[in-house]
Amino acid sequence: MPRLVIDGKTVVAKEGTFLLQAAREAGIDIPTLCEHPAVEPYGGCRMCLVDVTRPEWDGWSKMVVSCLFPVEDGIIVSTKSERVMNTRRVVIDLLLARCPNTPLVQKMAAEYGIEKTSYVQNPEPTDCILCGLCTRVCDEMGTSAISSSSRGAGREIAPPFNEPPPDCIGCLACAEICPTGFIKYETSNSKRVIWNKEFEMLRCPTCGRGHITKAQAAWHDGKVPGRYFEQCDACKRKAQAAMAVTLMGGSQIR
Amino acid sequence: MQPCVDMTLLDDILAQYPHEEQSLIQVLQDVQRAYNYLPCEVLEKVASELKVPLAKVFSVSTFYKAFSLNPQGKVIIKVCTGTACHIRGATQIIDEVERRLGIKPGETTEDLGFTLHTVNCVGACAMAPVVIVGDKYVGAAKASDMHKYLTVAKGGDNEN
Ligand code: SF4
Ligand code: FES
Ligand code: FES
Repeated sequence: MPRLVIDGKTVVAKEGTFLLQAAREAGIDIPTLCEHPAVEPYGGCRMCLVDVTRPEWDGWSKMVVSCLFPVEDGIIVSTKSERVMNTRRVVIDLLLARCPNTPLVQKMAAEYGIEKTSYVQNPEPTDCILCGLCTRVCDEMGTSAISSSSRGAGREIAPPFNEPPPDCIGCLACAEICPTGFIKYETSNSKRVIWNKEFEMLRCPTCGRGHITKAQAAWHDGKVPGRYFEQCDACKRKAQAAMAVTLMGGSQIR
Repeated sequence: MQPCVDMTLLDDILAQYPHEEQSLIQVLQDVQRAYNYLPCEVLEKVASELKVPLAKVFSVSTFYKAFSLNPQGKVIIKVCTGTACHIRGATQIIDEVERRLGIKPGETTEDLGFTLHTVNCVGACAMAPVVIVGDKYVGAAKASDMHKYLTVAKGGDNEN
């Protein structure tokens, strides 16, 4: 198992894990914006940069994105060196220029001592930081209804042709994973709208709440056992709890 | 509304490639050549035939400069606005094209004759300013000669 040093602390990591994970397991926090346990690492935001060196490198070191860097035996990692902090500051400064009104970005910038971007501010502020979490989780769902379009300064997250996406099942995974709340939706017991697409809701047979779109139920049909998605999560939990209580022979809690 | 497009062109293209994700860019290049743009109904069929999500097809189509979602003119004029060409008068050339054709960079004339684009350094700085009209590279281009290049391009286009 690789032994490495992170911020002066000796860490024994599992073979094949990424540096970010190894650091976290050792209780060392590295800031991230595009990382999420539900999706594969992506290396898009560059907030998780750290410095890596080896004793034989004679003072030379390299910057790597820790979310995508596999641990190696004998490396010495520094997550808060002057150089790392300065580089992260550039990253967050640029993000602040793109998203000047986004609370998440403002908060992170403040943590790095930046109040106002030193770059030219985006004339059309947006809340999207282009972390790609939404499109990756959509891929993970198997739907791939949205993607990034264009490139460079014009890059954005969009459904095909900027129209209601035909492959969208209204699951809200993209909106829920979005760290900035850029993806808007409306949902009620009868109707849900996301990406300008309207969905009919199915109601939970127990509590009557509209909790899943018809399209989503159809998508899951045959992929998950039985009628798993028929009941809403809250009712499923209640039923499970009740069953556990019965099994343990206790009386039901009110 | 989009005019209806001839789908048989696409069928001919699709017949030449294996129907898989790897063929996507080649198919899109052929579509761009055959239709002069990527019509959305064609992209929908490309997606379903190659079994690539429509969102991915859209992403690729908007990523590369070689692809366009809007009909392009028969002749594409590219004015280099790289540093060397800028210094040697690219702006006047663009002004002249705008004045003659009534289109701005990125736009196409109504008769679909010309599209104007600006590009950044085509690697021929010694010949600055450079204009590419159709397939023809014009070095040391002069704004006052633009009308000549345009006429030649229009005439030359009928040959093929
Ligand atoms: S919409 Fe949200 S999740 Fe998607 S890239 Fe933008 S910030 Fe990230
Ligand atoms: S978390 Fe590593 S690059 Fe975004
Ligand atoms: S700047 Fe125009 S060719 Fe280089």
